[in-house]
Amino acid sequence: MTDVTLTGLTKRFGRRTVVDDLSCTIGPGVTGFLGPNGAGKTTTLRLLLGLIRPSAGAATIGGRAYAELSEPRRVVGALLEATGFHPGRTGRNHLAVLSRDEARVDAVLDVVGLTAEADRRVGRYSLGQRQRLGLAGALLDDPEVLVLDEPGNGLDPAGMAWLRSLLRDLAAQGRTIIVSSHLLAEVAQTADRVVILDAGVLRFAGPIDDQDLESAFLRLTAR
Amino acid sequence: MKTEWRKLRTVRGGWILLVAAQLVIVGGISGLMINRADATSLAGQQGAVAHVGIVALFSLVFGITAVAGEYRYRTITDTYLATPRRDRVIRAKLGVYTLAGAVFGLVGSAIALATTAIWLAGKGAALDVGSADLWRTVLGGVVWNAAFAAIGVGVGALITNLIGAVATALAWLALVEGIVGQLIGGARDWLPFSLGSALDRLPTVTDGPPQWQAALALAGYAVAFAAAAVATTLRRDVT
Repeated sequence: MTDVTLTGLTKRFGRRTVVDDLSCTIGPGVTGFLGPNGAGKTTTLRLLLGLIRPSAGAATIGGRAYAELSEPRRVVGALLEATGFHPGRTGRNHLAVLSRDEARVDAVLDVVGLTAEADRRVGRYSLGQRQRLGLAGALLDDPEVLVLDEPGNGLDPAGMAWLRSLLRDLAAQGRTIIVSSHLLAEVAQTADRVVILDAGVLRFAGPIDDQDLESAFLRLTAR
Repeated sequence: MKTEWRKLRTVRGGWILLVAAQLVIVGGISGLMINRADATSLAGQQGAVAHVGIVALFSLVFGITAVAGEYRYRTITDTYLATPRRDRVIRAKLGVYTLAGAVFGLVGSAIALATTAIWLAGKGAALDVGSADLWRTVLGGVVWNAAFAAIGVGVGALITNLIGAVATALAWLALVEGIVGQLIGGARDWLPFSLGSALDRLPTVTDGPPQWQAALALAGYAVAFAAAAVATTLRRDVT
């Protein structure tokens, strides 16, 4: 059971405030991380992962900043929009660079359904296959917290259904899962709670009533 | 370090550069052997074997790909997520690529010596293997490769745009060092490419610093670039 806590988290790029005094605690279960384009979702996730330095405030995972975790990949698994692959590496080698545990590499390849494609170069993968490989990378070290930025990108309808049940299974194991997405219907089906951002400001954090997520979202983010 | 080795082994770029470097060595030595009247003399042999050092350009580019290549393919995100202490990442890359540069130099030396020996045999002469001068050139060439690979890691970490970093480095060697050299007089002997030339005892060097000083100065450049790279890398936002 690992909580993610944001306290007064703020990021300014030059004079532009992208994330503005954000405070909330996210516990186990699936939390949808929502907001219009440019709301600061990706920046917040990158702040949480220590890839960007906050201008003020802090983001902690189980009480510690990402950079202070001794084995970060065992605590947090991340799939970011910009997660990259060297096109000349095979899927299996991409994972082997991240973990020396070959049994785990085989296991996560199986989980995401890429075993048959594992020895092809990533440059030949479809968008959906890359997304699955990114997910495999996030799951590799069996982390308690998952941070997934638009994990449904490029997945076909069967892939979306698979992703939904995967996330529900992982949540049932007591993991804390943060999923950013634009697909409100998808979030309404999968998430226990939502956090809604707009212009870097927290608009809503709490459980959802899936009947009116869309209207609530539009109301909260109306300009 | 293990992770960095694995990264190297699992892509082809390094091998392609290594093979390309060998072609340049064979081509360069063959050209010299065909055109130079005193090719069989010790000076001729030394000039031929010195082509090992020229390959340092490949080592430099290879070093640049260490960090800038990760930005290019956005794998740097995963790298920093696995090792949030970025100075460790840079240090590991520095260690691995310096060794890889030395390997470039060693393989290049073997190819250069073999190519030279074959041409000499064709001319009825033999490689002067007893000459300390010849071996000092070989050693200098290997060190030049290792140092330029290390400098490349620093350059790639400072200029994270791969194309920009490679273009800047090559433009420096091809243009800027020549022009700056004109302006600063005797100090030009202490610019990186001149130092490498002195280290490799290239025939173009007339009165550069002695070999050991050149080696130390090049190592100094590598350390300075690495320190600057670590300092900027720690603060940089990865977006």
